[in-house]
Amino acid sequence: MDCFYAAIEVRDHPELKGKPVAVGGSRDRRGVLTTCNYEARSFGVRSAMPTFKALQLCPSLIVMPTRFEVYRQESAKIREILHRFTSLVEPLSLDEAFLDVSHHQGDRASLAAIIRQLIFQKTALTASAGIAPNKMLAKIASDWKKPNGQFEIREAEVGSFIYPLPVNRLWGIGAKSTEKFATLGITTCGDLQKATRIQLHDWFGKFGSELYLLCRGIDRREVTPDRERKSLSNERTFSSDLTSVAQCEAQIPILFDELVTDIHKSGLLDRVKSVFVKIRFADFTRTTVEKSRAPLKAESFVELLRTGLDRKALNVRLLGLGVRFREEVESNQLELL
Amino acid sequence: MKFSVSKDKLLEGLSIVQNVVSTRTTLPILSNVLLQASEGEIRLTTTDLDVGVRGSVEAVVERTGATTLPARRLFSIVRELPAAEIYFDVDGRNFASIRSGPSYFKILGLPEEEFPPLARFDDARVYGIPQKELKDGLKKTSYAISTDETRYVLNGILFSFKENKLTLVATDGRRLALVDLELEFPKSQEVDIIVPTKAVVELQRLLREEGEVKVSIGENQIAFELNRTLLISKLIEGNYPNYRQVIPSEAKERITLERETFLTAVRRVSLLASEKSNSVKLIFTKGNIDIVANTPDVGEAKESLPVMYKGRDFSIAFNPEFLMAPLRNLSNDEVYLDLIDEMSPGVVKIPGPFLYVLMPMRLS
Repeated sequence: MDCFYAAIEVRDHPELKGKPVAVGGSRDRRGVLTTCNYEARSFGVRSAMPTFKALQLCPSLIVMPTRFEVYRQESAKIREILHRFTSLVEPLSLDEAFLDVSHHQGDRASLAAIIRQLIFQKTALTASAGIAPNKMLAKIASDWKKPNGQFEIREAEVGSFIYPLPVNRLWGIGAKSTEKFATLGITTCGDLQKATRIQLHDWFGKFGSELYLLCRGIDRREVTPDRERKSLSNERTFSSDLTSVAQCEAQIPILFDELVTDIHKSGLLDRVKSVFVKIRFADFTRTTVEKSRAPLKAESFVELLRTGLDRKALNVRLLGLGVRFREEVESNQLELL
Repeated sequence: MKFSVSKDKLLEGLSIVQNVVSTRTTLPILSNVLLQASEGEIRLTTTDLDVGVRGSVEAVVERTGATTLPARRLFSIVRELPAAEIYFDVDGRNFASIRSGPSYFKILGLPEEEFPPLARFDDARVYGIPQKELKDGLKKTSYAISTDETRYVLNGILFSFKENKLTLVATDGRRLALVDLELEFPKSQEVDIIVPTKAVVELQRLLREEGEVKVSIGENQIAFELNRTLLISKLIEGNYPNYRQVIPSEAKERITLERETFLTAVRRVSLLASEKSNSVKLIFTKGNIDIVANTPDVGEAKESLPVMYKGRDFSIAFNPEFLMAPLRNLSNDEVYLDLIDEMSPGVVKIPGPFLYVLMPMRLS
């Protein structure tokens, strides 16, 4: 879906049409934007940006509070449409899903157009689609003609499509890895294809073997409809190690806001079972502190962080916050309360 | 501190308190039992900060004093000691020498000052309840407590003191058990509190058939005093859901069942309830119930039970565990099953102040 939450807000508040609109936390409470529309993006505003920063870039930005209940309802309507075409639907979040339509005999691009059309008729919201031989390419293709567009990568075109593609478009390649590649003179997937499997393994460990395939446009993961999310986490590796408890604690609110946004997007808020903090020390050893039933508040994570830091008197390389979810039991049991 | 004590009495005292000992290793003192020797007795105390228990054991005290010793270790040592009498001598550095017959143990404790004090109850509301009644009430409700940690207000039993009644309620959101106990107390003592599972379990171990339990409710804490033992627990904070609204006001059909017969029939049939759906179906026809279960690719089970039933033919499915739980914990020969239709809650009743509401399962 195109700027899903922001698009819903504009749809439900017609007076916002044509104005820069974002959805997220308010400025005075250290909020972060969950999403924003294209008008806002033209000012340099991005999702996951702190609200105060977004307002500096775009003072006329209208920040709407999140209404996840509404977003969930819209998401359910959209899923219903997707399921008319295949039972192999793998939702990534409330506004994104993979569909396996390989059984479909006709032209897949026309099918995508029909689905997008139906979504628009039902919700008055626009969607973009990527049609490709595998999940990774479909995801990249879906961004290609955004908003309200679609793009198809055919089997025969994979090689020529992937060759000039910047490496940071691949899954698992973030800012740190891109930096590392730059020092190695690698900017495109084509550059990366010149590296051997062993080199990649040396650089990235196990993930290196996966990269070897990904940069060739090969992705063997299947669309798994009932994939159940067991946990969700958000972590950050620091360019220089954190040396004090206070420095570590200062990172919590930032990581926490991002985590909460991701949990909302996943639609699993009411299934959070436990919270945990992950710490990687300067010597690369890791520790995880977990607590069940703890409220989803920054304070809970601060408490766990302190416990974790007590375990080793070392500087900290990486901090992560996460939650684990309760299993969803497929049950015919009716609820009383 | 120096004393001698009978092995059996000490073992009994330790078994009362050792359940509460914390499994958290972060605070070693919580793995210890506090021993306080005064004139003629040893007081034993354990806590995990949520629940605390204190008991006492008769002893011949030569020198008063106090220390804390690792509770589980002490228990396993005492259990193995060869003689009927045990001699303790604890020095100022918390080294405990334990002698019994030819055996000698020396174990290191921690200073008593490190042991967290149990909560005090100064402005508490106090109630006296016959132990037998509370024991019975907890037995009839506690199995319905939720173990789902995300619904923490349900991880305990509601004690609702209202209009000269103590109502005990437990639910996991799918079934609900309720017992009323008659109890006199002034209007100013009306209160709703939630006692966490761990305290309920400990209390059930302590309650006997005779005597009273003195219950004191303070700010976020509850104390039970009974049989020379004190049990203190934090309360679960939060509002218990409005359980009254889920109790059906009237039933369409009332079926009288022989409790044992029905229980054993459901138990047998449930052997063929599939792990996935985990349901048994009750099929009502004139004068009869068929209890059936099946597991695809495995097989099916059916048992017929003649009953007084004159209503329309219909079927309803239940989780067999949920259906059997109250039957196991009741002692009446006969129980009533009140039903409305296949999608509405069923109610198990007895000729007494108890009811059990149970949601059916969708028939697939």
